[in-house]
Amino acid sequence: MSNTILKIRGLHASVGDKEILKGIDLEVKEGEVHAIMGPNGSGKSTLSSVLAGRDTFEVTSGSIEFNGKDIIGMTPEQRSVEGLFLGFQYPIEIPGVTNVNFMRTALNEHRKYKGLEPLNAAEFLKLMRQKMEIVEMNPSFSSRGVNVGFSGGEKKRNEIFQMAMLEPKLAILDETDSGLDVDALRIVATGVNKLKRPDTSTIVITHYQRLLDYIVPDIVHILYNGRIIHTAGKELALEVEQKGYDWLIK
Amino acid sequence: MSEQNYIYAPGSTIDGSFKCKVPMKGTRQLFIVDGKPQGSPSSLTVKYAQGERPSEALQVIGVRTSAVPGSLSFSTSYHFGQDSVGRLILCSHTFAEDSFETTENCSIVVEKGASVEVVLMQNEHNRAAHFLNMDVVVGENGSFKATFISLNGGHIENRINVKLEREGAYCELNGLYLADGTQNVSNIIKMEHLVPGCHSKQLFKGILDNNANSRFSGLIKVCPGAFKTEAYQENHNLLLTKGAVAISEPMLEIYADDVKCSHGATNGRLNEDELFYMRSRGISLKEASLLQQMAFAYSVLEKISTQELRERMMSLTEQRLRGEFSDCRKCCKNCC
Repeated sequence: MSNTILKIRGLHASVGDKEILKGIDLEVKEGEVHAIMGPNGSGKSTLSSVLAGRDTFEVTSGSIEFNGKDIIGMTPEQRSVEGLFLGFQYPIEIPGVTNVNFMRTALNEHRKYKGLEPLNAAEFLKLMRQKMEIVEMNPSFSSRGVNVGFSGGEKKRNEIFQMAMLEPKLAILDETDSGLDVDALRIVATGVNKLKRPDTSTIVITHYQRLLDYIVPDIVHILYNGRIIHTAGKELALEVEQKGYDWLIK
Repeated sequence: MSEQNYIYAPGSTIDGSFKCKVPMKGTRQLFIVDGKPQGSPSSLTVKYAQGERPSEALQVIGVRTSAVPGSLSFSTSYHFGQDSVGRLILCSHTFAEDSFETTENCSIVVEKGASVEVVLMQNEHNRAAHFLNMDVVVGENGSFKATFISLNGGHIENRINVKLEREGAYCELNGLYLADGTQNVSNIIKMEHLVPGCHSKQLFKGILDNNANSRFSGLIKVCPGAFKTEAYQENHNLLLTKGAVAISEPMLEIYADDVKCSHGATNGRLNEDELFYMRSRGISLKEASLLQQMAFAYSVLEKISTQELRERMMSLTEQRLRGEFSDCRKCCKNCC
């Protein structure tokens, strides 16, 4: 029996007076790939933000257990060092902070949490080069400001590169396919697959079947109006692609 | 440089202990102790002869000591002859916990074809007030570039008047001011374009914490006949708290046609999206906000041409933003 990595029970979350998540139950085991699909405004991005700890959303009831720990009270940085990773739909540009500086600071926080010494500059750069190759990223990007002047595809590659550096137990990829052409999609998806290990899990949030041709899910959920209304195997994604969501929304 | 009987460091030390740690190779250091250049009763006068291009920078370190508490004023003058090239590092420090008020009247003349870069750093304590009145005149095709770093000090007031007097004169003023507690920093700039074809740029940025306040008042004046002027000005402030106040007064007075002028001012807070993004990668809130502040400061600090000095200023800025200066209560030397 593989271990449960994420267990969500009766999760409700609001922004201001508006309830967006209205009772989510979800269980992800080690090694599994889950896809969450759903029409616009169903709460997909809210769910990923809530899991990553964004404080614009208030969890009003329910529980989130990650790796056996209740994470609702944890800061985003605590969740990160515990092994949770969110790939952003719209990665943020941070002018003036170089990719190197950003990732070195992040990686050293992770190492500190694990009781490891910080990497020295040479070790760090070597690791960074190795991980950049996974997503075919040009090494010159390391000295540039985080995501500044990056194309849509380059930003998404940078997300997967960061994931490669931090080696999370659970990666949540929020519409990683949006804004990507076929080549970029292939590179990003291949990167995700290369990083997959038997003890890590992935949640892919997407609108389209397209990405799921590359990152094949074990389980597909349909999120609608703040609830998971349907769960099935990977064939569900194809069905949604052909028939839309209407037949599921009664 | 005209030889005066000034005593240049590091042959000598102040207080028997202080040694400036700015690790610049080939820098000639000179102390002004309580308004007097060390070893001289008169005010500081430095002249670069026509065509003189010394490889070393001149660092003038103004210090206040407990020997003369209270207020005093002094003058300095720097003259850069035709086609000379000079680099100045001007520092001001307080070496005792007394209350000080320092007024410095500084005159800088940049003759035809001369090129001057100044880095000015003010690092004093909370009970110190520093008034800098700087008058700069730039001649034909002369270039004057200065970066003002107000690192620390109870009350800092920089009044900088620049006259671009002959065609082709260039002036670039950059400023970074950091204030916390109840400190206040003012930069009052007057940039006068008197003749055609001159070019000026200003970039001033401030990071204000607690109840600190700042004022930026910048006038660009394009005089009658000064066509083909290019003049730009920017002031941006990062307010870390609700109690911090930044006043920005950009002003343009244009009395000539065919000019390019612009000014822009913003006051903002730390960017929540950037903070969340960094935190989601494991970076603590404190480090994330520090990275953002350093990024904000960087666009000013990167203007310092000399790499060693730029890196030194970056590390001092980081120490200051980390709050390390306020930990050194008894010491007034603040690790410079």
